[in-house]
Amino acid sequence: MADRILKANAFTTFDLLEGSVEGHGFAEDAPAVLNVRTARRDPDEVTLELELDNVDLESVPAHADRVTLSSSEARTLATELRAAADRVDAASDTVEGETADGADPGGGEP
Amino acid sequence: MPTKVERWKDEAYGTEIRDHLERFASEGFQSIPEDERDAWFERFKWWGLYHQRKGQESYFMLRIGTPMGRMTPEQLRTVGEVAREYATGPVDNPEFGEAYADFTTRQSIQLHWIDIEDVPDIFEELESVGLSTMQACGDSWRNIVGSPVAGRDADEHVDVWPIVRDLHDRFKGNDLYTNLPRKWKVAVTGDYRGAGQGDINDLAFEPAVKELDGESVEGFNVRVGGGLARKEPRFARDIDVFCRPENVPAVAAGLSGLFRDYGDREDRFNARMKFLVDEWGPEKVRSVLQAKYVDDELLTAGEDLREGYDYNAGRADAPGDYVGVYEQRDGQHFVGLSVLVGRMAAEDVIELADLADAYDSSMIGLTQRQNVIVGDIADEDLSEFLEEPLLEEYSPDPHPFMRGSIACTGTEYCSLSIVETKNRMVRYARWLRDNVPVPEGVEDFHIHLSGCTASCAQPQIADISLRGMKTRKDGDAVEAFDVGLGGGLGENPRFADWIEMRVPADEVPGYIANLLGTYEAEREDSESFRSFVADRDEDELADLAEPEATSYEDPYLANTKMTWYPYAEDDSMSASPAPTGPNDEPLPTDD
Repeated sequence: MADRILKANAFTTFDLLEGSVEGHGFAEDAPAVLNVRTARRDPDEVTLELELDNVDLESVPAHADRVTLSSSEARTLATELRAAADRVDAASDTVEGETADGADPGGGEP
Repeated sequence: MPTKVERWKDEAYGTEIRDHLERFASEGFQSIPEDERDAWFERFKWWGLYHQRKGQESYFMLRIGTPMGRMTPEQLRTVGEVAREYATGPVDNPEFGEAYADFTTRQSIQLHWIDIEDVPDIFEELESVGLSTMQACGDSWRNIVGSPVAGRDADEHVDVWPIVRDLHDRFKGNDLYTNLPRKWKVAVTGDYRGAGQGDINDLAFEPAVKELDGESVEGFNVRVGGGLARKEPRFARDIDVFCRPENVPAVAAGLSGLFRDYGDREDRFNARMKFLVDEWGPEKVRSVLQAKYVDDELLTAGEDLREGYDYNAGRADAPGDYVGVYEQRDGQHFVGLSVLVGRMAAEDVIELADLADAYDSSMIGLTQRQNVIVGDIADEDLSEFLEEPLLEEYSPDPHPFMRGSIACTGTEYCSLSIVETKNRMVRYARWLRDNVPVPEGVEDFHIHLSGCTASCAQPQIADISLRGMKTRKDGDAVEAFDVGLGGGLGENPRFADWIEMRVPADEVPGYIANLLGTYEAEREDSESFRSFVADRDEDELADLAEPEATSYEDPYLANTKMTWYPYAEDDSMSASPAPTGPNDEPLPTDD
């Protein structure tokens, strides 16, 4: 088995989420790490990175996915996430600020 | 453009930080301006002080660098006394009590709960016996590692103690090497065991022999660019250089100068020597070293002695540590004592120092496996020494599961870790001792437990590697470990294969029990665990064992990272007394 690609420490945004991978003819679930990061020096973009535990996946090799967002795109995403969270909260009695797994939201890279 | 840390270092770094430390100490923690704290905490590292994690503001970890882990009993006693007096916090540790010292994997000593107000007195006490915290952390020459029994070991190639003393004196407080792009870790090995663990250091001098003018000359081959951190482990690479003992300082100066000038100051993640070696290749390192940093013509590498390396090598035919009784060159003995996870109560540290004194020992050694050695025990005193009550706790002949464990600091104090480590490893070791049969012939079995993907417990080079993670169990998020198998050093070092992900912390002992059961049943003759793993492919390794809940109970399974201190009665972040004054009482706030 390959080692993890992404770091996991106290500054990782989420070290335990539920993820899935789907392709033509396959679909698998696995725990996932999701992290938001910016460069330490003069950041000019936001990186969103995702890795599913490779030990639980047979259909794809060990890997992590990354997308880069401009600050404006990151804000658009944040707005959409906030609006979606509001809809979920409105539909249930979830207490604001509690994440699905009880993990604390981190703050990107140290 | 330089990083933020580089700008801070340009403003103030190195020996001058001492004056600032003394000023803040006399004026109190709150005199450090809030908007300058990140910068000052970064600079304090050069003098061995690390600010502790969230919830423990105003407390520091203090690291004392002891070259090759070597100390006198007097120095050890001073460490114990400083720990007893100053390394106490608002809450005791349930396993180790009120005050304790940690022996680290780089043969240094760490104390926790240090108040900045006490630092000048601590420095004075340490310096009165020749100890120092200078460059114990920060971007410079760190503590030099090697076998603490150099010169005493009956079985060694070159006594490296005079060489290491010389390097230590030259490169501590030396303005030319004060401010490097990142830490610079050096190992000097003169024994046949490979006890310097040079493969995981930025610069390694490894024992070698070379024919020169018809004579066989004893010296060192040089390797550079090893290290385990940043999820990018590398073993040091051979740059085809042989070095006579008298030339070690010149080559060491050249290579650290090369790193100072060419290391990446624009990206701290990329700043270690290993990445420069990746980029340049060993040949270019050698050619630039020759062209710009050393006057004498470099000799090509000699014949190495790696075949005999057994230190942390997972061999079935030799111990992988210094625990036990060994003969010295002079006919006396050195006795290696097992210190589980490297942590010793301050009172025990003092008692050990007194004991060493009483037996006329002049050498204490801290090893890279977080254990301690007492040297110079006379033949006629040996059996009496071995009967000393303190050696029941710190045994030269411990149960195999109480012997081979290393753990990092963990969520108790560290801001990176995501799981509890040292106390958990103690509980694991006790449970394994009480519940799991030791496979026949196994005397030391190395479990390295690290709290996150940083590698402070060297998780990639152990029989069993545990690395902190999270998982869900019965609907709750719980602390967990990724599990790796079969790593180790030796002639042909190898990083662990990662086999399991997110094993709940309370199912790890069951996993190890099942794994050892399979090993015992399926191994061939006296095959070591490491070679048993090496002989199997990925799928076979995954099938060796399953995690299992057992009678082991874990009282700290929930998210210790979110506590202010995991062992406080009210551990919630809001219950933290920090920041506090030297009396552990909360400092007054503005509102």
